Amino acid sequence: MARTYEEIEDDLIKTSSGSAPFRRMVREILGMRRDSAILVTTVVVTAIAGTLYPLALGYAVNAILGHNIRLMEYFAGSFFLLYVIQFFSNRVRTIKSTKLAQTEIKSLRDRAFTNLQYVPEDFYSKVKTGYLISRITNDAETLSEFLTFQLPSVISGISTVVVSISIMFYKDFDLTLYALIIIPVLMAFTISIQPRVRDNYLRTRKTIAAITGNLAENIAAIRTIKAFNVEEKVQDKYRGLNQENFTANMRASKLSSSYGAIIRLLEAAGIIIVILAGALQLIHGRTTVGLLVAFIVYVQEFFDPVIQLSQLYNSYQSSLVGIARIYGIIDHPAEENVGDTNEKLVFRDSIEITGLSFSYGQGDALSKIDLKIRKGEKIAIVGHTGAGKTTLSNLLLKFYHPVVGEIRIDGRDLADIPTRSYRKLMTPVLQDPFLFRGTVLENILFVEPSATREQVESLIERFGLSGIFASLPDGVDTNVGEMGRNLSEGQRQAVSILRAFVRDPEILILDEPTSQIDPYSEKLIIEALRNFLREKTLILITHRFSMIVLAEKIVVLQNGNIIEEGTFNELVKKNGVFSGMYRIQYGDT
Amino acid sequence: MAILSRISAGAKKVLGIFYPFKFSLPYLKGRYGIVAVVIIAGIVSSVSRLLIPVFIGEAVTKIENLSYSGVLSVGLLIIAASAVTAVFQFIVSYGSLYVSQKFEYNLRNDAFWHLLRKNYSFYEGQTSGDLLSRNTMDVHAVRNFLNNLFSQMLPTIFLIVFALYFLFSINPYFALIFLVAVPLLILTGAIFQKKQRTRWRRIRTYYGLMNERLQENIVGNRVVRGFSAEDLEIQRFSQTTGSYYDEYMEVAKLRGFYNNIMPLIVSAAATGVLIYGGYSDIISSAAVGPLVAAVNIFSLMSSPVSSFGRLIVFSENARAGIERISTLLETSMEEDVDNKNSVNLSGSITIRDVSFHKGGKKILKGINLEIRPGEFTAITGRTGSGKTTLVSMIPRFYDPDEGDILIGTKDVRKIPLAALRRHVSLVPQEINLLSGTIRENISFHREGISLADVRRAARIAEIDDFVMSLPDGYDTQVGERGITLSGGQKQRVALARTIAGLPGVIILDDATSSVDPETELRIFNNIRQEIRSATILLVTHRPSALKYADSVWKLENGEIFPVIDVSVDLQGITDGIRMNFYEVDHGKDI
Repeated sequence: MARTYEEIEDDLIKTSSGSAPFRRMVREILGMRRDSAILVTTVVVTAIAGTLYPLALGYAVNAILGHNIRLMEYFAGSFFLLYVIQFFSNRVRTIKSTKLAQTEIKSLRDRAFTNLQYVPEDFYSKVKTGYLISRITNDAETLSEFLTFQLPSVISGISTVVVSISIMFYKDFDLTLYALIIIPVLMAFTISIQPRVRDNYLRTRKTIAAITGNLAENIAAIRTIKAFNVEEKVQDKYRGLNQENFTANMRASKLSSSYGAIIRLLEAAGIIIVILAGALQLIHGRTTVGLLVAFIVYVQEFFDPVIQLSQLYNSYQSSLVGIARIYGIIDHPAEENVGDTNEKLVFRDSIEITGLSFSYGQGDALSKIDLKIRKGEKIAIVGHTGAGKTTLSNLLLKFYHPVVGEIRIDGRDLADIPTRSYRKLMTPVLQDPFLFRGTVLENILFVEPSATREQVESLIERFGLSGIFASLPDGVDTNVGEMGRNLSEGQRQAVSILRAFVRDPEILILDEPTSQIDPYSEKLIIEALRNFLREKTLILITHRFSMIVLAEKIVVLQNGNIIEEGTFNELVKKNGVFSGMYRIQYGDT
Repeated sequence: MAILSRISAGAKKVLGIFYPFKFSLPYLKGRYGIVAVVIIAGIVSSVSRLLIPVFIGEAVTKIENLSYSGVLSVGLLIIAASAVTAVFQFIVSYGSLYVSQKFEYNLRNDAFWHLLRKNYSFYEGQTSGDLLSRNTMDVHAVRNFLNNLFSQMLPTIFLIVFALYFLFSINPYFALIFLVAVPLLILTGAIFQKKQRTRWRRIRTYYGLMNERLQENIVGNRVVRGFSAEDLEIQRFSQTTGSYYDEYMEVAKLRGFYNNIMPLIVSAAATGVLIYGGYSDIISSAAVGPLVAAVNIFSLMSSPVSSFGRLIVFSENARAGIERISTLLETSMEEDVDNKNSVNLSGSITIRDVSFHKGGKKILKGINLEIRPGEFTAITGRTGSGKTTLVSMIPRFYDPDEGDILIGTKDVRKIPLAALRRHVSLVPQEINLLSGTIRENISFHREGISLADVRRAARIAEIDDFVMSLPDGYDTQVGERGITLSGGQKQRVALARTIAGLPGVIILDDATSSVDPETELRIFNNIRQEIRSATILLVTHRPSALKYADSVWKLENGEIFPVIDVSVDLQGITDGIRMNFYEVDHGKDI
């Protein structure tokens, strides 16, 4: 079975040196110099303030023991002041860290979206829609949690620990060594369970992905499920996946809960070591009660950052994958020579296709096509399903590029013409009449914002389409729904046709534009087209005959080759593929 | 009185934090015992956790008195208290996860159950992305809240209550200082909750919008490119991510203040205790141990209290999630698909005075139609004339606003849906295959039918030759992990699927629109020849297919008319461009 883009990418992520994308993101964040400088400052200030207050507390205790009211007031006041400082620095920290994180996430999302507009068309045939969506929304959201909430608190926690340890060493070297005994144990324990944490994490992720995938498929196919009354079967499958997810979750829960409990025990052990060692030192007069109190508080505070750090590991892992994937989209090579829409291209003479071959991988979809389309000519490309008609139109629209041979516009290689200005010249009505959410009118104006409602209405009139929209509750202001589902197939095609006509393009590519429209309406469209196309070039792709009246020249494709070419009369008389198709469709009328 | 009612209103608001808990109760049925154990374990672990600073205080006193053996015995007490805390904390943590995940499991199954029972009209008003996020993200948000409720929120509340008790036992004035702080904390929490509620809601809305824009852009990428609308799309997307960013920053500003003011309140109280305790200790020369214990209790509180703000955020998310899930769980717009009673149904269809409105417009105006068993009937009409709406009412995808539809002599509304839809099989224009093999797709509603039967159905649908030409034949995977079928191939697989179900009535709603005309005609011929017992209802506007029909009807302006002479009666529908040499010769002259 062919490997999917996702699998290839997953392997890539697994084998590459894991943290490179993360470092790249950090660099981008640090690129916002002012805000990141403020953030670093506030983290340091918070850490220092957070480390000094146990000391203030300890000195206050000493002052009480020494019956010194003034000193006691002084240190108690400092104790509170440190919290006030922490309040302000934390406040700035919260806002700045969110700002940096969200700015970066917005930028990642926007860049990924922008690049998606310019990646080569075949990218979309390799990657699933759901996959891309979840990379840009879901993964970035995980990243948002990680960057806005988890990472800042861990960083400040760690800096607190670092500053605490320095102060402790400064104050009492021996007691600090005792206080730190527990840290390696804590670290070793935390690191030793990470492989299991990782396994659990991967298992839960896999099972939840299965649920989401199944759900998405079922929602998409809900009409089929209902029509065949297989709700129970579908429900059983879902319940099974749900059960697997529950089991995987509980396995992970057992580990994380045990970890939490053991951490508490280690914490207590740490405190006792400090108390016992401190008591001994105190007896020998080498330390004070106040300092001991401060040390007890320090030891307790070591644990929070470590616990947070261990929880961070999962988020870090999933964020890492998410970042790598988003960069994967951002870095995907874009189409060359996209150009911009402002450059005006003029079509003077002809489109010339020479020696053109194309393949989707196995076997040629088109081979050695030679064809010349003169300005103002109306040409039909006819053939059975799978003959290569739509491939040819995709090549003409520059969605794909020839493997062998070339397409020249007025002698200029299509590859050298900026894509976007070329597409201003050549407007398609695609086989799949995709509509965006919004009204019928909005869908038409979307491609030509300068057009007016009146223009659209007169177009509808001119092409005899008003009957088709008559049943819509609000006419052209009817909401078409997701993917245009509130409209019938034929109505969608009508919108798609209008969308192309409103642009009044020089060259029109019509790919089965009226297959779902009733013959009478189609006739009205064709009559109107005769006039509309007067000065224009038409490339019509069809396996139905109705629109062929518009064509002056007919090209018949079979298995990727041009096998017949000529006028309608010539081809019908020839007794070949074309006349065969004609007889089957019109033989008995 | 006014003050009292305001207080009770305020209390209600504060209790609003627990609303998601109330919502979750029905999903925890049979697990109330576990919930109780988790809560009790939360109480025990809070108490034993608070004992640690108390013992530390005692240790300090012992140290002050230079009693090393005393310190040792207190050390043992601390170990004991920690062990108890560890055990009960494990119960709290594991139990909370169990309860919240069980809830998630049950809610997911329930939501899916309801989803499968929603009728067609429901799905018309929904987007798939939105339904998906309700079933995943929103369910998850509630689960997260429940977990945090049991593992953090309740223990924090117990911690506050018992801290008060311990402080009181050390020195009543310490408790008094604490008592001033607690209402302040609650008030701050309540204001915070209120202020960020709308923000979070908007963040979710923009997130959804971002999803939608992205999806449309990807699916419609050829339209975007074909019409050079990339810049417009980029600008629209960036606007959405911009609004999302703005809301996040608003929340950050709120968090910056409220999240950090809470520990400040706690520390102000701790300072109060320190100064007051300091004065009295110095004056009375009392031991400093209890004071250390009290301050330690405060510093123990500071971390849970400051994360309380985050828990409120979880509650907000959960609340917003519940609102969105609730529309799924309501029983409105649902149909009964569970009645599996089988009914003997005839192949005749009677449509009697059927009218249907859509958005205030009368699409169908009193349709009457009689179809005899085994008949091949065609309905034609212009695009948008209501053909699909009419035939969709037979398997009850919609119900008529007026009039009745009968199968045999039974009103379709009286027939169990399962039986009705087994009997009446509608093949729509747009096809959705499920991932799996071709064979699974053809037989998915009739498991266990033989390959021979599958192939027979496929032969009628003119897809057998194609399938056999594939290396894996009927075991070829389709969908995400398999081959991509063309529109026409999908339609033929779907047709085979319907035929394999041996229904009494087959409705082909333009079901072969993407199949090329030659094959289409062969399919109709096969159906005529091989499926003689079933009633066939064909919706089409292709005149070539009409010759297979026993009777032809046309829909026009919401009314139905019989077609006697195809060449006369179908003017304005199927009389397209006439294809003859004369016409084409003139066409050349344009």
